[in-house]
Amino acid sequence: MQRRQTSTAWLFLAPFLITVAVFFFYAFARAAYYSVTDFNLFNTPRVIGLKPYADVLGDPSFRRALGNSLVFAVVTTTLQTVGALLMAVALNRRLRGLPFFRAAWYMPSITSSVVITLIFLWLFQRRGVANYLITQAQASAPLTLTFLLTLIGAQVVQVLLERRRALPAGWFDPALGVTSALLAVLVTAALAWTGVISAREVPPFDYQYFADKWITLGGVRVLSIPLLVVVIQNTFTTIPTLMLFFLAGLQNIPAALYEAAEIDGATPWQQLTRVTVPMLRPVTFYVITVGLIGTMQMFDQVAVIGSAAPGETLITLAYYVYANTFKAGAAPVNMASAAAILLAALILAMVAAQRRFFPSEAP
Amino acid sequence: MKKCLLLACALLATAHAQTTVKINGYGGTDPAVVGDLINRFVKPALAKDKITVVYEPLQGDYNKSLTTLLAAGTAGDVFYLPAETLDGFVATGKVMPLNGLVNTSPFIKSLNTAFTRNGRLYGVAKDFNTLTLVYNKDLFDEAGVKYPDNTDTWATLQTKLTTLKQKLGPDYAGICLQPNWDRFGAFAFATGWTQFDSKGKTNLADPRFAEAFNFYTGLARNKVGIQPSEVSEGWTGGCLKTGKVAVGIEGNWVVNFLRDNAPNLKFGTALMPKNTKTAKRGNFLYTVGWAINSGTKNRAAALKVLNILTSPQVQQYVLEQGLAIPSRTALTNNAYFKKTDPGAVNSRLVFDGADDGNVRAFTFGPQGTDWSKPINEALAAVLSGQKSAADALKKAQADMNAFQSR
Repeated sequence: MQRRQTSTAWLFLAPFLITVAVFFFYAFARAAYYSVTDFNLFNTPRVIGLKPYADVLGDPSFRRALGNSLVFAVVTTTLQTVGALLMAVALNRRLRGLPFFRAAWYMPSITSSVVITLIFLWLFQRRGVANYLITQAQASAPLTLTFLLTLIGAQVVQVLLERRRALPAGWFDPALGVTSALLAVLVTAALAWTGVISAREVPPFDYQYFADKWITLGGVRVLSIPLLVVVIQNTFTTIPTLMLFFLAGLQNIPAALYEAAEIDGATPWQQLTRVTVPMLRPVTFYVITVGLIGTMQMFDQVAVIGSAAPGETLITLAYYVYANTFKAGAAPVNMASAAAILLAALILAMVAAQRRFFPSEAP
Repeated sequence: MKKCLLLACALLATAHAQTTVKINGYGGTDPAVVGDLINRFVKPALAKDKITVVYEPLQGDYNKSLTTLLAAGTAGDVFYLPAETLDGFVATGKVMPLNGLVNTSPFIKSLNTAFTRNGRLYGVAKDFNTLTLVYNKDLFDEAGVKYPDNTDTWATLQTKLTTLKQKLGPDYAGICLQPNWDRFGAFAFATGWTQFDSKGKTNLADPRFAEAFNFYTGLARNKVGIQPSEVSEGWTGGCLKTGKVAVGIEGNWVVNFLRDNAPNLKFGTALMPKNTKTAKRGNFLYTVGWAINSGTKNRAAALKVLNILTSPQVQQYVLEQGLAIPSRTALTNNAYFKKTDPGAVNSRLVFDGADDGNVRAFTFGPQGTDWSKPINEALAAVLSGQKSAADALKKAQADMNAFQSR
């Protein structure tokens, strides 16, 4: 009986095991072997030692790809983890129409990244929506400023009046806020109507997002603007998936802990930092690990943007591996393999460091 | 029953005798063009030989797709071989040398050279393109400056462009400069500079290279020369389309583009300017050849197909249809070239450019397209004002050395 159960288990596991054996272990072993040979897709590989590794490390493109990948991984993982946590906390409350918001927020995650990249390329063109909105914001600055100043002024006056009548009014009281906003709209409209203020004439905002532009730190190129666009896009599309993990984690935190905290007089912020975040530690560990692996292997956005941005600004390790394998005719596949092995080692090291220094257990 | 069996056997035998030659080439409009050529010329000629010809276009990145097919042993018997990626494909050992198998004497010599490595010919030019100066007549008329012509040197062209810019003001530019080897290289060749020395190394510190580099990037000073991105375009043809840029350096492909995208633009064409010192022009030959797969099982049939596709009748048809500039020398006296419409004039000058001055094939050498990266980066850095020409050239040489020592 035991033997039969075991063989059934093997039978069910077989498809998965065969796939892993062929597409992971065999492929990995081949890549490791090619990385010490002179293989170029067409010749019979001959072992030449560690020269491909030396070539890869001496290649300025590889060093740029390494820098880009690391910066991208750290920035994107941080942004998406924090964003996903905040989003999960917000969507974990009992709100009207919650299922709608959960579904709506999940949409970017199920849309193809190629499609989203094309949309972002369109948004951030020189004559794209991003530049158009900035131009509009600059043009309508007098109106916006009038609205904001009136809003703040009205709110201050209202709150002070309420307090004089000994009523407990907060600075951000929503009911008073609506009244102030209405008043601000009326004042702005009246001033615009009488011609006292009007939209300015400004030249179109003309920023090139997909050009060789960099954010530098002490003269060192850290993050390119095109890569920053990809960071924004990636954060936008990954937050929903990671948010689901946090939501699942949040459901498992006993409500009693929050009740106790509330009785002790903890503010919502204190509840978040002292109860939610520590209790979510195992989920956070998982989310960061998945985030790091995903961002270190980022490829599709770079491939889709392609020559629309200068190569050096976007090249990542995964793209470097691809570009060195698929060329015209004979290709330095040995270098691509060496880079792939280095990428794998780097990811392993990052995950190991995370395990070592950031505990994955809830306190 | 017996009859049926005999009939089946006969059919099988016929099917067996039928040879299929598969051709790999570009996607886009090529399937229609090559399909037409096959129906008009190849099929009638091969009707008796029981050879079927099929065209299998490779969509997307042709070079990458062909590499994959060659590595897997499933590429066509005949395929397009772009001269710029010739070395990479020759290194695979999958391209058959054609010496002694085809007669190359009717073809333009520089085109045969483009497909020759170590005395072996790997392809027969299908058609080709060279670079010319394409200019916007209205802008020159408005500025009262003489059009660029075939006697222009770098110095006279620069004077014309600078005057035009001064007359027309900040909204206009003299010339569109792509920060790429694929346009700049023609200027480097004009000085007599060569891409590779006898050891296969590239010397960017050569004064002749620096002379061309300084001239090209120097045009960007005072905004006489601008990059396509400065007018929100991706290439020089796009610059011309805007009507704000007077000159573009392009090949014959720009004619159909302008016809479709800027039908009211009056353009003229002149040969590339001569280097002031050497009095020679520089130019690129952009060409795609017909090649045969060394692993083909239908060698004789493939050769027959190749010979038909490069025959005078096919080339005449290609030229008359305005599809490309064919590669046979005999076409010099073709009636089409005597026409005076802008398209025909452009074709004539593109054809003439193939053997005027220092003309070299557009190629990157055995290490592939990455060869041009250091040059492209240097051009981009100087044209956008981020680096001085001297600094950029220094870095480019260091990067080139690292690349070539791999």
